[in-house]
Amino acid sequence: MTPASARLGVVRFPGSNCDRDVLSLAQVAGYQADFLWHLDHFNIQDYQALVLPGGFSYGDYLRAGALSARSPVMNSVRDFAKRGGPVLGICNGFQVLTEAGLLPGALVKNSSLRFRDGWVDLVPENKSSFWASQHSQWKVGGQLKLPIAHGEGRFYSPPDLLRQIEDSGQVWFRYADNPNGSLANIAGVLNETGNVAGLMPHPERALWDWMGSEDGRGFLR
Amino acid sequence: MKMSSALAKKLQTYRISFAELQEILKLMKRPAPIQNAHQEWDDVQLNPVEWAVFSALWSEHCSYKSSKIHLRKFAQTLDASVVNAEGENAGVIDLGQGERIVFKMESHNHPSFIEPYQGAATGVGGILRDIFTMGARPIASADYLCFGDEFSGRMGLLVDGVVRGIGGYGNSVGVPTITGQTNFHPRFEKNILVNAMSVGLLRKNEKVALSAAKGVGNQVVYVGAKTGKDGVHGAAMASESFDANSDAKKPNVQIGDPYFEKLLIESCLEVLQQDLVVAIQDMGAAGLTSSSFEMASKGQVGMRLNLDLVPVRDSTMQADEILLSESQERMLMVVEPHKVPKVQSLFQRWGLDAVVVGEIQSARRVQIYFHGEKMADLDPDWLVENCPRYSRPFEPWKSTRVFENPDDLLDAELMKVLQQPMGLKDWLLQKSSQAQHAAKTPLYQQYDQRVGLLTARGADHDVGVLRLPDSARGLALTVGCRPWLMEIDARLGALDAVLYPSFQMSLKGFVPKGLTDCLNFGNPEKIEIMNEFVASVDAIVETSLLLQAPVVSGNVSFYNETLGQNIISTPAIGVVGLREDIRELPEDVFLAPGLDVWRLSHSAVFTSSQSAPKMGFCGDFGASQVMSWVQWMKQLRLLSQLSGVRANQMVSQGGLLLSLVKMVQGGVGCKLTAPLSVSDLLQEVLYQSVWVVEKSVPFGDRAKALGLQPELLGQTQLDWFEVREKCKISVQDWQKLNQNSLRRSIESLA
Repeated sequence: MTPASARLGVVRFPGSNCDRDVLSLAQVAGYQADFLWHLDHFNIQDYQALVLPGGFSYGDYLRAGALSARSPVMNSVRDFAKRGGPVLGICNGFQVLTEAGLLPGALVKNSSLRFRDGWVDLVPENKSSFWASQHSQWKVGGQLKLPIAHGEGRFYSPPDLLRQIEDSGQVWFRYADNPNGSLANIAGVLNETGNVAGLMPHPERALWDWMGSEDGRGFLR
Repeated sequence: MKMSSALAKKLQTYRISFAELQEILKLMKRPAPIQNAHQEWDDVQLNPVEWAVFSALWSEHCSYKSSKIHLRKFAQTLDASVVNAEGENAGVIDLGQGERIVFKMESHNHPSFIEPYQGAATGVGGILRDIFTMGARPIASADYLCFGDEFSGRMGLLVDGVVRGIGGYGNSVGVPTITGQTNFHPRFEKNILVNAMSVGLLRKNEKVALSAAKGVGNQVVYVGAKTGKDGVHGAAMASESFDANSDAKKPNVQIGDPYFEKLLIESCLEVLQQDLVVAIQDMGAAGLTSSSFEMASKGQVGMRLNLDLVPVRDSTMQADEILLSESQERMLMVVEPHKVPKVQSLFQRWGLDAVVVGEIQSARRVQIYFHGEKMADLDPDWLVENCPRYSRPFEPWKSTRVFENPDDLLDAELMKVLQQPMGLKDWLLQKSSQAQHAAKTPLYQQYDQRVGLLTARGADHDVGVLRLPDSARGLALTVGCRPWLMEIDARLGALDAVLYPSFQMSLKGFVPKGLTDCLNFGNPEKIEIMNEFVASVDAIVETSLLLQAPVVSGNVSFYNETLGQNIISTPAIGVVGLREDIRELPEDVFLAPGLDVWRLSHSAVFTSSQSAPKMGFCGDFGASQVMSWVQWMKQLRLLSQLSGVRANQMVSQGGLLLSLVKMVQGGVGCKLTAPLSVSDLLQEVLYQSVWVVEKSVPFGDRAKALGLQPELLGQTQLDWFEVREKCKISVQDWQKLNQNSLRRSIESLA
């Protein structure tokens, strides 16, 4: 698969607000990218990768990500993921993937009970089969600098599930300095097969030096 | 004057004066009021809808009746860069390479004091609608806030609620908040200020959308949230002073839903880009009334409206309530009949109903029907063009608080204390922990600063910077007005409201390109308030002309008084500036040791500080001085582009010493070796700046060549902030103190 011919789908829910930003992330990596509307199914053969962007889908009503996880487009996303297709959830997209049962755990209100914007350092833990797998920082001691912006980003799971996540190598990234009270400093997790990944920080907001970091570029190969 | 009780009650409810009523009846050719046998004025022939419509559109908030004659002066500042969009929701500036920006600042003071979260949130929502209704995608927001004393009863709750409200709304709709200013001063105790600014971008092929209704037979389409009883009479509330009973006004405050706004932004920009709409306006103050009458008046047409078709939340709503509701997230559009189905299907895709509620007609009347009955039949000009204009009494500005000797402005008692061994250190630590000086990180880190991928510098910097998507140029955003200077002298304070933020961006190499204002004042019926208002407008015009940065939009908020006490008059200013690229912008703080620290002064005017016992100034700020400041600003801009300039900063409130210590935010300290006296360290001077420069750069010579007077103060060093042997503070301790002060006071409320 050469990126030039590869197509990436950006799932667009009502209230998504990083949808256009994720198009930039895909384009910087040389992908063709287009939007997938929340009410439509799509042909999973047409895409090599999918991203669920950040935002406040369905206004975050009920629980962040809860309504989106049950929208029609998610049937196609599920099929795509089941066949091993790479799916990435960023911020609200991560919340949607946990609500949809595609990723373990849950994201609850920050321990400060406030929205938090800022830069964080991430410690890479286990590799995804696709996302950021070729990232230059993926070496012992390497860290990634990415921005966060969320009110409900505290990773939570019951103790036995947490043990299972840890034991099966599903922790993707940890915060070097925990900004929101996440259990075990978890910033991102993987599914068991490593093709579905989710994280609270925003790789698409770190594409150029002038943004403050370029570490988001390596998320797409 | 004696009035029948019926008439007296109506005039009070609708906040219309007897003279205004006489004018209304004359316009409508209705019988003038007559006196009965008891010499009382009898009730008149106006139905509730007519009363309501005049009440809203002739209110100060909608009509600018006390300020209009002065605001006209801003027209002289407009130059060739301003895209002609007169009378529109926001001003437009052409940046010269195809892209145009739309920006405006607006107040939401009254609602935010009553209900801080929703008041601030809907303030952000309202200003965003002013931007995207012009066809521009909002790309950044800023806020200007003034609160009372940090320790007084409700103030913590107000700060917390306002900040959460701004974040709650702005973050959801995906517009980054990249800069702002927060002041604390006892004179805002009973009347806080919440001013929100937003900037939108029109890219090369995108057209400016206008609001003038056109085309007989075109359909009037309502889109967005359903109309509820919230905010009925909001405009009239905002045109009134607070009394002891302001809590009773809570039901007048609107409730916002940022989710709906986000859908509106995307769908409206889509219909505008596809050229499906003739005219569009948001339903802001006075809701459907102002949008319909203003669109008709601007387009010189009439409009027929059927209120039965307006989507309502409550079926018991009466015609006047539907007309005056300030329910949020609603827009009114004029659409050609054959395009209506396409418009409706596009909105439907976004889950929004677009409903035809009326039609444009040639007869220049707005006719309002409800339950089959004609409730009003009014010439739109009566409400808009013929609205009263008041020339409230005022006197030419005369500065009074003049001092001969700058040292007399200093607090003599304090000076004595500062001579003590630990005096300076104690004073610095105490100041650094006050809300006014503490790091505002706990506030702005609740705002999303990077959504949209244009942010090069967010709210943790002095100047917010965006990188424009097509041309890669830098767009800077700053807000200004230092209330304690307004309190000293309105002319000086208003000059500074424009100059200080312009200096800030000039230090980073940006050229101010345009201004917006948000004029927060007390009761205009008091001459001392009107004097300050007129002096402020004149000062803004004067600086705008010198800077060649036109005033393209604005807002006036009068009646910021509670129980007879007026706020400090506060003309908040938003400045937008441009730079050819965003490489090598000087930083704001000390980031590396071993660099020279310089001061550049233009010591023309000294002022007292906020807490000083005596209030006043020393020096001259006449027209020639303002010219020389603007000239000086240009030279500083040249100097900022010198390679080797690593950081710079305007000296701000509290004087040189406090400004310098704030630069250790970067984690590096400095040692001041120059023989500075205590009064030199504390004196508030307009204008000084601090520069951090590599030693190899002949900074002093370059500055002198530009006619500036450089003074080497010392150099940056690791770990310690030192003033000769007078004061020594650990950088780490200071950072902790300054970062945590505000956090403590608001986090206790979570």
